[in-house]
Amino acid sequence: MIYFYDGSADAFLTAFLLAYPDEDATLTSGGKQLAIGQETAFVRADPARAEAARKRLEQLDKNCMHDLDMLLRSGDHTRDMVAFNYFKLIATRGCPVRKMLAEDAVIAAEECIRRVEFEIHRFHGFLRFMESASGALYAPVSPDNDICDLLVPHFRARLPRFPFVIHDVRRKKAAVYDGENVFLAPLEHAEVALTADETAWQNLWKKYYKSVNIPSRERLKQMRGYMPVRYWKFMPEKKDG
Amino acid sequence: MISEEKLKILTESAKYDVSCSSSGSGRKNGGGMGNGYFSGCCHSFTPDGRCISLLKILLSNDCVFNCKYCMSRSDCDVPRATATPEEICELVVDFYKRNYIEGLFLSSAVHRSPDYAMEQLLLTVKKLRTEYGFYGYIHLKGIPHADERIVHEAALYADRMSYNIELPTEKSLKLLAPQKSRESVLLPMKQLQRERDLFRAEKRKGRFLPAGQTTQLIVGASPERDGQILRLAQGLYRGAGLKRVYFSSYVPVVHDALLPDRPAGELREHRLYQADWLLRFYGFSAEEIVENDGDLPLDLDPKCAWALRNMQFFPVEVNSAPAETLLRVPGIGTRSAQKILDARKYTRLGFDALKKMRVVLKRARHFITANGKFYGSGDETAVRGLLAAGEGQPVQLSLFENEAARSALTGEL
Repeated sequence: MIYFYDGSADAFLTAFLLAYPDEDATLTSGGKQLAIGQETAFVRADPARAEAARKRLEQLDKNCMHDLDMLLRSGDHTRDMVAFNYFKLIATRGCPVRKMLAEDAVIAAEECIRRVEFEIHRFHGFLRFMESASGALYAPVSPDNDICDLLVPHFRARLPRFPFVIHDVRRKKAAVYDGENVFLAPLEHAEVALTADETAWQNLWKKYYKSVNIPSRERLKQMRGYMPVRYWKFMPEKKDG
Repeated sequence: MISEEKLKILTESAKYDVSCSSSGSGRKNGGGMGNGYFSGCCHSFTPDGRCISLLKILLSNDCVFNCKYCMSRSDCDVPRATATPEEICELVVDFYKRNYIEGLFLSSAVHRSPDYAMEQLLLTVKKLRTEYGFYGYIHLKGIPHADERIVHEAALYADRMSYNIELPTEKSLKLLAPQKSRESVLLPMKQLQRERDLFRAEKRKGRFLPAGQTTQLIVGASPERDGQILRLAQGLYRGAGLKRVYFSSYVPVVHDALLPDRPAGELREHRLYQADWLLRFYGFSAEEIVENDGDLPLDLDPKCAWALRNMQFFPVEVNSAPAETLLRVPGIGTRSAQKILDARKYTRLGFDALKKMRVVLKRARHFITANGKFYGSGDETAVRGLLAAGEGQPVQLSLFENEAARSALTGEL
């Protein structure tokens, strides 16, 4: 049976309870090509059942909900099955499995979580703010994984006096820090009036980037490995080639 | 705002300093802007494959010293510029706010005199911390021969300081950097280490170089061997408590009869860094890695070379070998070793399991058994050949490759 759910943690846990005894279960929150005669179920989140499942799983592994959050944020289309197999293993073994690194389900989950966490770390460096006329900072991002709200604590800690908006243009939502509170809001398109000096600072930064390079030691492959091209779009030093 | 031209001059004179790390400081935000990122953070990468973490810049490139290898030496005809402390502070704050950089790496030529140059550096970082309320990372270069009181005060504001030893022996230093002496570099390093220990022991308020000290050596401008260089590095880690020793393979930016005309190979620099990692994270000593008057082999990485000289320790069984033994297996790094240690608590590991866990077996298989099975080649010479072959593609020699060969064929010399 194929279990469709909406990608939220509650719906996942509800679907998990249904699919757990099913030997031939497929969980998916995206589109799926159906074979003829394949049985399907559309699972809607049931908060009460989800809460029960959450409690039980946390008894087995008190940190497993963090893993679930990371897995469901992954942009990889296999994430639903990776999460399902990982939680199935926790349920059958009845204990934390994260260090059982020779198990296929754990290897897949560990890699998936690591990719999400690594992208968060990358964006701590690669994110670029622009200063608006009002003094607030605006950063458009287009990450592989759904992480824009997880970037907030880092920047809030270092720029406590600057309100800022981190805009995930792919998922059309934004994480906002207004100088006091943090919230997540849908955001299709943002018109930002920039401060008068913004272009001048960006030009200085481009000049710096060009000057600090040692042309006789060109290693483009290494540069692209560390800083993949898909992240260049919003970086002033890279976006004009 | 600093002019683009000035920024260009002061950056181009600073870029050959290799240190870029922003790690080791957990400085908290105290209400202004910025904080430390303990593991460090890279903000961009340049086409030469290096990362940009800190804004690496000179306060001035106008130098009274005349070190042969240096682009900013006094008798070199290059454009000169000097920035004001305000220009630097403003630049740091506006770059930092936009998340371009993790902090500042500030250095200076010996402008007017060592004391004057060091004072200007101190003035800049003090202003940045107190007037601009900046809590981000600051790496400050020390100027040799500067007064120790200025050095002491600077350390109260910086996260990390470094003096560049540059050349591994006093003899080379005398020849190539006549105004510097070994003492002028080592004494302030020792002073800072002593003061840092005292500061910590007395649990004084504030911070004193939370990220410690580093240094840099130029490799290939003078005749010292890798063995000497690594022993020096080991001494600095053990005796002077240094956090990092950087190696910079010599690039001829100025021509001088006393300097080699060709750049030292980047491969040599790479091998030195590999050996440096063995010293710092793998429990090796310099004596195990290379003889005092020897060089590291270029065709093999230093761990492989060590293992091949010590085949009596191998193969080791991955299911029972202790951590420090696993770390000595070529191809097994800290991450793979940790994975093996975790996984083997639950199950016995065979080669298939290791492969699935993405432990790289290309080199390791010659030095381990998994569940009693051995898949490597037992013959030492064969192993050496296999391992070295992977490092570069063999090339068919051509009779017509170069002029000399052609002239030899035709007899026209």
